[in-house]
Amino acid sequence: MHKAMLNGNEAVARGFIEAGGRVATSYPGSPTVEIIQTLNEDFEGGYSEFSVNEKVALEVAIGAAITGARSMVAMKHVGVNVAMDPLMTFTQTKINGGFLLVSGDDPGMSSSQNEQDNRLLGKFAHMAIFDPADAQEAKDMTQLALEVSETYDLPVMLRMTSRVCHSRTPVTLGEAKQHPIGGFSKSLADYAMIPPHTFANQHHLKARIEGLGQAAKDLACNHYEDSGKYHTLIITSGLMYHNLKELELDLSIYKLGMVYPLPLDALKTLSQSYEQVVVIEEMMPFIENELKIAGIPCVGKAYFSHTGELHTENIRQGLQALGLISKPQVKGRDPYETVNRLSMFCAGCPHRPVFDILKKSKIPVIGDIGCYSLAVLEPLEVVKSIISMGASIGMMKGMSKAMTLSGQREPLVAVIGDGTFYHSGMTGLLNLLHQLDKTFNMTLIILNNGTTAMTGGQQTASTGYYSESSDMKVDMPQLIASMGFDPVQVVDQFNYKKAKGIIDQALQHEGLDIIMTTRPCALNFKIVNPHFVVNPEVCIGCRTCVKTNCPPLLMKHYEGIEDLKSSIAPDMCVGCSICSQVCPVRAIQSSKVKEKSL
Amino acid sequence: MINILLAGVGGQGMVLTTKILAEVGMYSGLEVKTNDVIGLSQRGGRVNGSVRMGACVHSPNIQAGTGDYLLAFEPLEALRYAHLLKDGATIIMNTHQIPPVPVMSEKETYPNDIIKRLKATYEVIACDAIKEATLLGSAKLANTILLGILASKLSFNQEIWVKALTENVPSKTVAMNMKAFLSHTHT
Repeated sequence: MHKAMLNGNEAVARGFIEAGGRVATSYPGSPTVEIIQTLNEDFEGGYSEFSVNEKVALEVAIGAAITGARSMVAMKHVGVNVAMDPLMTFTQTKINGGFLLVSGDDPGMSSSQNEQDNRLLGKFAHMAIFDPADAQEAKDMTQLALEVSETYDLPVMLRMTSRVCHSRTPVTLGEAKQHPIGGFSKSLADYAMIPPHTFANQHHLKARIEGLGQAAKDLACNHYEDSGKYHTLIITSGLMYHNLKELELDLSIYKLGMVYPLPLDALKTLSQSYEQVVVIEEMMPFIENELKIAGIPCVGKAYFSHTGELHTENIRQGLQALGLISKPQVKGRDPYETVNRLSMFCAGCPHRPVFDILKKSKIPVIGDIGCYSLAVLEPLEVVKSIISMGASIGMMKGMSKAMTLSGQREPLVAVIGDGTFYHSGMTGLLNLLHQLDKTFNMTLIILNNGTTAMTGGQQTASTGYYSESSDMKVDMPQLIASMGFDPVQVVDQFNYKKAKGIIDQALQHEGLDIIMTTRPCALNFKIVNPHFVVNPEVCIGCRTCVKTNCPPLLMKHYEGIEDLKSSIAPDMCVGCSICSQVCPVRAIQSSKVKEKSL
Repeated sequence: MINILLAGVGGQGMVLTTKILAEVGMYSGLEVKTNDVIGLSQRGGRVNGSVRMGACVHSPNIQAGTGDYLLAFEPLEALRYAHLLKDGATIIMNTHQIPPVPVMSEKETYPNDIIKRLKATYEVIACDAIKEATLLGSAKLANTILLGILASKLSFNQEIWVKALTENVPSKTVAMNMKAFLSHTHT
C-alpha cells in the first residue's frame, strides 16, 4: 500500500477525497487552513472554496449536503461561534449527503485569542464528535465520520487540535470512492425548519444520538487495551493517548475515537472491574462530565490542568500525584536565560507606517483580528483591545456612546483589515449609521492589503485588485459610499508624509472619518526594490528609523565612528523606503541611488 | 529512537526541512512523527519543531532531556531550545544571527558567548550556512547545508537523502541542493 508523509490537515483533505466528498468550504483560520488549501490545489471532480466567513462557508456546505453531496466545512474553533446560527438549525434536519464540520481547537493557544473546547459546542448541536490522535486517524475518521453521518442521520464534528493538524506521519493512501449526488428533497418536513416541522425533529435529535451511543462500543475507533491488572482504567482520546503511551505504563486504557456520544453501557460495565477510572483529556472535563452524568465514578481535572496542552510530562505529573508512577522522570536541564523573540511585521509590511503614525499620535487603538494585532506587542504597543473578528467597529460605537453618557469624550480610532472587514466588519460599519453622533471624533482605518495574511495569504474580496487569479474585486470605497457614509479617504501609506497628514487630520476632526490604505501584503505581493543603505556619516543616531521596527534595521558600530549609527541588513531589506522617509536628516537612501551617485 | 529538535525564526523554512527529515525516516522503513509550532509565530517569531523516528513512535513531542540532535537555524534559537537535549547531544547550528525585537530596540544585547555556553554540555557543529549557501549560489540552500551535516552524523543510506531532497526542492534547484548537501562531507 502506498504511504505519504501527511500532516493532519492534508490527511483530512485526502480522507475527504477518498470518501467521495464533493464540496468543501472554509474560512481560513489556524490550525485548519491547509485542509482547503490542499483541496484548492488538487480536487478533481469536487469543489472547494475559502468563503467570506465561517457562517457563509457553513451555509454553502449545508446547501451542497442537502442536495446530496458529501460535504465538509473546516474552520478554527472560534469560527464555529460565527457559524453557530445555521448550525443549530441545520443539525435538526435530515441528512442527505454526509456532513462533516472540522473544528480546529487550539489547546495552549499557539495562534488564537481563546482556548474554547468545541466538544461542548458539538454536543450542544447534537452532533457526533470524532477526536483523531494523528494524521492516519484524521484520514480514517474523516471517512468514518461521513459514513456515520449518513447511517445515523446526523451532522458530525471532527475535532482536530493544533498539534494533530500540524503533526506529520506516514499515512496509508487508499482509492477514492465514488459517491453520487442524489439531488434535493422537496419535502417540506425535511428542510423547511419552522413549526410544526421542527416539533418532530426534537425527538429525532434525541433518538439518533441514543442510537449511535448504543452502537458506539462496536466502532473500530473506540478500543480497549486490557493490561490484565484491574486497579486503574484510563479513559482518553486524541493525542493524549499517544502522549500517555510514551510512559510505557502497565495500565488498562480505553481509547475513544468518538468522544460523543460515549459507549456508556460498555464503559459502565468495564469500570466496575476497576478500583478507579482516570480520565485524561485536554481543556474542559468533557469526557469526565459525561461519565459522571452517567453515574460512572472517575477523576480527571483534579489531576490534569484545564488549560494548555497536556504533554507527556504533564500526564506523568498527574499520574504521579495519583500514585500510579514511581519511576523518576528523565530530568531536562533548566532553560538557558536568553532574549525573547516575539513576532513582528515583515520587512516591507504596509502596516508598519500606519502604526508608526498611530504610535506618534498617542491615541489608543481599537484593534481587530489579523496581522495588525501584532501592533499590541513591543515595541509598538499601540493596539489596546482585541476581541473577535470584526468587533472593532461595533466596539468603537459602544465606547463613543459610553463616553458621551459620562461626559468624557476622547478621540477614538479603530483599525480593521479587508478580510476581517468583509468577514464581519461591514455589519458593524452599517450599524454606525444608526444614531450616528456627527460631532464625535471617530476614525476608522481599513488596512486594505488584499490578503488574508495572518493565515498565509488566502484571498479576500479585494484580492482582484492585486492579482488576476482572483475573481473578487470589490470596490471598497464605493461599497462604503453606497451605505451612505461620506467619501472614504484613500491613502497610499508608502507616501509617509502624505499618509501622516491625512491620518493626523482625521484624528483631530470632530466627526467620523473613514480611511482606506492601499498597499498590498508584502508577503503575498513581494516588493522587489533595491535595498536601502544608511550613510553613517550623515546619521545622527536619533533612532527614528529603528523605531519603525523593521527586521533589517539595527543600531551598530561603524569603524572609525564612536557613536552607534543605524544600519540595514541588505539581505532582509525589500526596499519599501519607509525608514528613509522617516529619517530627519536624509541619511538613508536606496542602494540604486547610491550606486548612481558614486 | 532518534529525537531531532528543530529551532529557528519564522520564515526560515523549518516546515520543509522537517518534512524532508521525516521522509528520510519513512523511506528507511521507520515509524516517524513530526511537529511544528507555527501560527502567530510565523512573522519573525521563534519557531520550533520535532522529528522522531524509530521502530515504534507514539507522540510527536520530544520530552525534555531526551533530544539527540538540535538543528538550529539561528544561534539564539539554539540556546533557547538546547535544554531539551540529552547531555552530550549534538547541535548543528547556523551562526547567522537574526536580532530579535529587544535587541533591535537596544533593551537587551545579543549574547556573544552562545557557542561557548553550549559547548560546555553539548557537541556543537557551527557554520555560517547563509554565507556558505550564498557562495554556492543562493542563501536558500542554507538548510540543505545543515541537513548535509546532520546526515553525516546519522547512518541513513545516502540514496534516501537524495530521494527525499529531490522530491521536496524545486526541480531546477536539485543540482545546487545536492552540492550544498555534500558541501561538508569532505571537510
